[in-house]
Amino acid sequence: MKKNLTRLKTACFVFMLFLACYVHAQTTTVSGTVTSADDGLGLPGVNVVVKGTTNGTVTDFDGNYSLNVSDTNGTLMFSYIGFKAQDIPINGQTTINAVMTEDATALEEVVLVGYGTQIKRQVTGSVQTIEAQELADIPVSQITQKIQGRLAGVQINQTTGKPGQGMSVRIRGQLSVSGGSDPLYVIDGFPISGGINAINPDEIEDITVLKDAASTSLYGSRAANGVVLITTKNGTVGQTNVSLNTSTGMQYVPQRGRIEMMDAVEFAQFKKEYYEDQGDPVPDIFQDPSQYEGKTNDWYDAMLRTAPMQNYNLTITSNKDKLKTAVVAGVFLQDGVVLNSDYERYSLRVNLDYNISDKVRVGFNVAPSYIVDNTPRTDGSRGTGILFNALHTWPIMPIYNPDGSRTTFNRFPAETGNIFSYANWLTSAEQITNETKDVNILSNAFIEYEPIDGLTIKSSMNAEIYNREYTFFSPSTATYRINRPIPTDAEAIWEDRKDFSYLNENLVTYTKNLGDHDFSILGGFTYQKFRRDFSRVAADTFADDRIATIQGAANINRGGTYDQVQEWSLVSFLSRLTYSYKGKYLLTGAIRRDGSSRFGSENRWGNFPSVSAGWIMSDEAFLENSEKISLLKLRASYGVTGNNNIGNYTQYALIDNTVNAVFGNDFAPGSAVNSLSNPNLGWETTKQFDIGLDLSLFNDRLAFVYDYYTKNTTNLLYNVQVPRESGFTNFSDNIGEIHFWGHEFSVNTVNTTGKFRWTTNANISFNRNEVVALAEGIDRVYGPGGWHITKVGEPFGQFYGHLSDGVYLNQQDLDSSPQVPGRSTVGSIKLIDVNGDGIITRGGDEDDRAIMGNPFPDFTYGITNNIKYGNWDFSIVGTGSQGNELLVRHLYSTTNLDGVFNLLKDVKYRFRSVENPGRGFYGTTVGGGNVTGIERDWINDRFVADASFFNIRNITLGYTLNGIDRFFKSARIYGSVQNAYIFTKYWGGPNPEISVQNNGQGDGGNLASGVDISGYPVPRIFSLGLNFNF
Amino acid sequence: MKKIFLFLAMIGVIMTGCEDELTIFPEDSLSVPTFYKTEVDFEQAVNGAYVPLRGIYNQSMAYLSEMHSDNTYYARNTAFGATEQQEDVADFAIPTDQGITTNNHVTNLYVTMFEIIARANQILATIDEAEFDSGPKNNIKGQALFLRSFSYFKLVQFFGSVPLHLVPVLSREDAALPLASTEELYAQIIEDAQTAIPLLPPKSQQDPGRVTSGAARTLLGNIYMVRQQWAEAEAQFRAVVNSNEYSLMPNYADAFSGNSDNKNNMESVFEVQYKEGPEGLNGSFLYNFLPRPITAEEVGLITQTSNPQPLNGEGNNIPTPDIIAAYEEGDLREDASIQYITLSESFWRDGVYPIIKKYVEPHSLHGNHGMNWPVYRYSEVLLFLAEALEEQGKSGEAVTYLNQVRTRAGLGAATGDLGEAIFNERRVELAFENKRWLDLVRTGRAIDVITAYGNRIKANPNDYYYPIGAEPRSNAFTNISLTFGLPASESSLNPNF
Repeated sequence: MKKNLTRLKTACFVFMLFLACYVHAQTTTVSGTVTSADDGLGLPGVNVVVKGTTNGTVTDFDGNYSLNVSDTNGTLMFSYIGFKAQDIPINGQTTINAVMTEDATALEEVVLVGYGTQIKRQVTGSVQTIEAQELADIPVSQITQKIQGRLAGVQINQTTGKPGQGMSVRIRGQLSVSGGSDPLYVIDGFPISGGINAINPDEIEDITVLKDAASTSLYGSRAANGVVLITTKNGTVGQTNVSLNTSTGMQYVPQRGRIEMMDAVEFAQFKKEYYEDQGDPVPDIFQDPSQYEGKTNDWYDAMLRTAPMQNYNLTITSNKDKLKTAVVAGVFLQDGVVLNSDYERYSLRVNLDYNISDKVRVGFNVAPSYIVDNTPRTDGSRGTGILFNALHTWPIMPIYNPDGSRTTFNRFPAETGNIFSYANWLTSAEQITNETKDVNILSNAFIEYEPIDGLTIKSSMNAEIYNREYTFFSPSTATYRINRPIPTDAEAIWEDRKDFSYLNENLVTYTKNLGDHDFSILGGFTYQKFRRDFSRVAADTFADDRIATIQGAANINRGGTYDQVQEWSLVSFLSRLTYSYKGKYLLTGAIRRDGSSRFGSENRWGNFPSVSAGWIMSDEAFLENSEKISLLKLRASYGVTGNNNIGNYTQYALIDNTVNAVFGNDFAPGSAVNSLSNPNLGWETTKQFDIGLDLSLFNDRLAFVYDYYTKNTTNLLYNVQVPRESGFTNFSDNIGEIHFWGHEFSVNTVNTTGKFRWTTNANISFNRNEVVALAEGIDRVYGPGGWHITKVGEPFGQFYGHLSDGVYLNQQDLDSSPQVPGRSTVGSIKLIDVNGDGIITRGGDEDDRAIMGNPFPDFTYGITNNIKYGNWDFSIVGTGSQGNELLVRHLYSTTNLDGVFNLLKDVKYRFRSVENPGRGFYGTTVGGGNVTGIERDWINDRFVADASFFNIRNITLGYTLNGIDRFFKSARIYGSVQNAYIFTKYWGGPNPEISVQNNGQGDGGNLASGVDISGYPVPRIFSLGLNFNF
Repeated sequence: MKKIFLFLAMIGVIMTGCEDELTIFPEDSLSVPTFYKTEVDFEQAVNGAYVPLRGIYNQSMAYLSEMHSDNTYYARNTAFGATEQQEDVADFAIPTDQGITTNNHVTNLYVTMFEIIARANQILATIDEAEFDSGPKNNIKGQALFLRSFSYFKLVQFFGSVPLHLVPVLSREDAALPLASTEELYAQIIEDAQTAIPLLPPKSQQDPGRVTSGAARTLLGNIYMVRQQWAEAEAQFRAVVNSNEYSLMPNYADAFSGNSDNKNNMESVFEVQYKEGPEGLNGSFLYNFLPRPITAEEVGLITQTSNPQPLNGEGNNIPTPDIIAAYEEGDLREDASIQYITLSESFWRDGVYPIIKKYVEPHSLHGNHGMNWPVYRYSEVLLFLAEALEEQGKSGEAVTYLNQVRTRAGLGAATGDLGEAIFNERRVELAFENKRWLDLVRTGRAIDVITAYGNRIKANPNDYYYPIGAEPRSNAFTNISLTFGLPASESSLNPNF
């Protein structure tokens, strides 16, 4: 937030500089205390200036000031954000105390909107801002983690606990079939092409989220997923601040919430019973399960550790004379809770803003960062995820040899049913390199010229350089795959990615007041271009693990070795007209016209208009004098936005020139057309209507914001399947329609004031969606893997599979129930005959599968309480999600009844015989894969788990010491707990926010969201912080 | 305000450059408007048209043509599930509803053949416009026509009726066509093969491994055999014989390609080409044809690689007792075609299984070998010729061609009914070369032979690699049909079926 007064004051200073030259007088010291009328406490940071001069100071942390004045007939001017400024004539006094009263109306808060700022009171769109200061104590690396649960209508999930990764941000539930769903991040006016993880949260001043179409439409074809505007730090007028923030923490994975797997005794007992039930001899090692008492090898637990983290930030801000600067240097070091995972970020930001004259202003920002992220391949199934592997390894397999050294790998004789070998996953974690190194440089430069009052012309150049190096090396002594004996072939992947994006932006704004009429006009032209050069080399069969370079490899893997060039360009024209009448009737119209290289040659330009209106009812005569109502505003908006995440070359029919042949022993290069062209390909279009209400009561003690939105996304990019008789598999087209709607409420209350100040802010959001149409002749799309369905008339990406009804309890039950032909037996899983044809089938649209769960929550919510008592401060943040489900995908192996892997504890209670049916839930082990395969391979509703949760996300308690000495202005010490406690019934793993697919990727796309194949757990963190201000 | 106008004028200047700035072709790959211009382009395009053969012959073709007959079966591994796709093929139990099936291997066959057809169509539609020498142009055209004819021939034999695409698909609307009748398909198949013959050079003048005029004649002859146009068939095979481009390898075992030597030898008419190595040109079919579970050491004994890995799952294409019994006493081909291996971890009997030996060749990389797959061999040309002659009552001449094949196998003249003798000769001479099922269909014997075979398996599953206690599935041999259902994934996208 900024203040209008700022500019006025600056102007005064400049003017008074001239006068100051003529003044000569003796000096007198005036001192006093500035207090708040609200609680009577001293107010730190209040500007005290001799009116008409540059002579001024700032109150200390107890509200005291002392100032030498040359003219005892002058006037002291006291000013402070959020309070009424006041002038007190000196009149020869040497002690002048001031009492400041809060004032929300005189000092208008301004908020950032696209391509400019607006007075908050007059904003007609749906916009929400968070001050980064509120988030400073939360001990995590990513800004998106810090804002979890703070914003109405923004669902942020941590899909994996990998340090520095895995945040999924969805604004108003927006999603698409195959286009991206991440919001557009705009840092200091520059829409960045990468994510925002490279940004040190301590560089951020505030974050503004634009939600409705009126707020976002100026971002045109990139706005449909919502826009997040980030402003970085800048100096506060008249002050120089130096602060050092440090924190150090410990992270660990609580026992509660982990998957409950069998211990060694239970597992041996299971295997014993398995052979008994088959009527086969029990292998020796399972004869006496009790021998494993106290000898469980908890492989999962052994992969975890308690890990430290540290954060250091040095911030210097200054705003003196014509120069405004901010410098933030940060170091963030985090070890992960899984062995050999760590994350380091070194960052610097320098922001400079200089007034060359009172008409011309220039600014430069540059922010380099360097991130090293080294995390084993923890997520995904047995081809990619070592945590999955650890969960599945038999608990009777030793982690350590009797002499204390680590086992190399474990494989028991075939007669024990051990068909896979298991490497020592601790060794896998430690020896396999899986590291990325990112260099990111964001920079902006601008010049702003104000030729006449109210008219500004601003031109900027922005550039983003991003370089990512990835190194994977798996030596011959380690593997991340199940069933890979050691020693194995060493393998390696090297990737190098260089992104360069630049943006030129030229904006003209003109504001004019004509009596009751206020106008503001914006016009602009922007050009942005992006290029990515990516290269990848994959190699294997290294002669020596110590030479992990290309020349050490006997074999270059051609299929995994390639270059890629990705480019796009975007040319845009934009304009906005804002009009207000008497400051209470508000109207805004905006339009952007985007031309993009991604769009087909026949469909190159898109228009994205919006209109919004507001009415400040509380300024009307009938409410103006209301004591209770300080603000009542009605807002409505409608607009069109686009999503251009459709791939850079999707419109073209490409030649694949790697379709190589061989004749005899001679390599023969070959090519084939591998896609169909679409010259009409375009963006996805979202038309959104929003209606909102802002209400502030009791002198702003209670502020309430409500929004209802409804939006329809059409022209979804989709690879429409075409019959393969054409030689092609699909055709990229814009098809279908999804309807989204929802309600968002947020409330801010000041519960108590005075010495004990307690504020609460809470929000809750209800987001819904329904598929209205898909491509012509298509009413459904299955997710990859076939356990999701996106079907017309239903919400997107629903879990799809068989419905189960226990097991066939006896022969009569079997005979009288529909069966899987040739496979169902007494004790096997009993599935529901959905299509009523008397048998259970899987495959095709008319089989017995049905919708069995929903990955979307009924509602998400967050509540934050802040309490200040004297020098103490306390805050507690809770976030929750209700009604969402997860597909516990690892059950296909953790409940594999053939005893191939370790099993969920609950499998103890499976069906063993008609007399001993267990809990009637897990089926019989008799019959082999033909019988047991149904239960695990035919995904059914047993895989679906309620993932509602309420997470006490953060608790912080701090104590501030003011005015320690001349050097230290203040210091603060605080303790913070992150993920303090999660209330949930979710049993599929420790993280109810997870979304991890088989391949270990966090998000399987919207067609297949909400899958838990097991991933990196999210730790609980205890941290201790110290802040010093100099 | 003047400055605003100046500024707007600047914008106008910038705008004029927009369209150029907004056209970005991919830098890392070619797109259609820039391709199909030069001889090199078309040579690459025809090379690309051969490529899908590698995939389909590596697995599904063998299952659908050989394991879908009485020659081979799967070796049941009761510890393993998710094997029904293969088992359904071998068990004549492919779930088929109103002529539609979801079986993976059937779908693979369909889409692979159409992939070749699409690539051939792309060449044939654009090659006449391109300017380069008629020699190489005819050669490329001939290869494309052969591949299109060959692909439709497979499709018509396995499916009866499929859509007929003769020009490249350019838009979504053109992608789905109605089913063409069997007669329409054969008319096109014959025309393409006939057109290809004069365009293609003979084997001695063609790059080894590419199709030749001899291969096209063999294909056309094969088509006529299926059509029972004996005289036309005879003419084509006789032309192949008289071309003096081919002869039998003296030793039967040498008829098959080694891992890198002996490819496209003098007996070879057409082989699917593979090459061992990391380029992705390799086959791995030998591994698909091994019973499991098998330890690394046991794999190593067969493949002689330096890095053998254990294999799990279920082994397919295992020779049946029936084919083993079909070899006459003294037939040298039995030991050249079948060998026995021992699996220490097997649940079946003593773990001694027969495996196909024809494709056992030492190589160096696990799961990666370079043996070619024999599609047409000269011995088949001789047997086809014998059969065509015999069908026309020219028994005397037929016997001489039959006996050329038998002599090499170390056998004397055939006895009994000549027609039966030729048929049985084909079974053992061409065992495991994907001929058996189509021969059974072509000669009208499929239903009887497979019904009897199914009864033998059900009566005595232990002989057919079921461990004691394991039984054939209840749906085994319930769907003995002469053609496969069309793929469900296609049916859901093509409104015509």
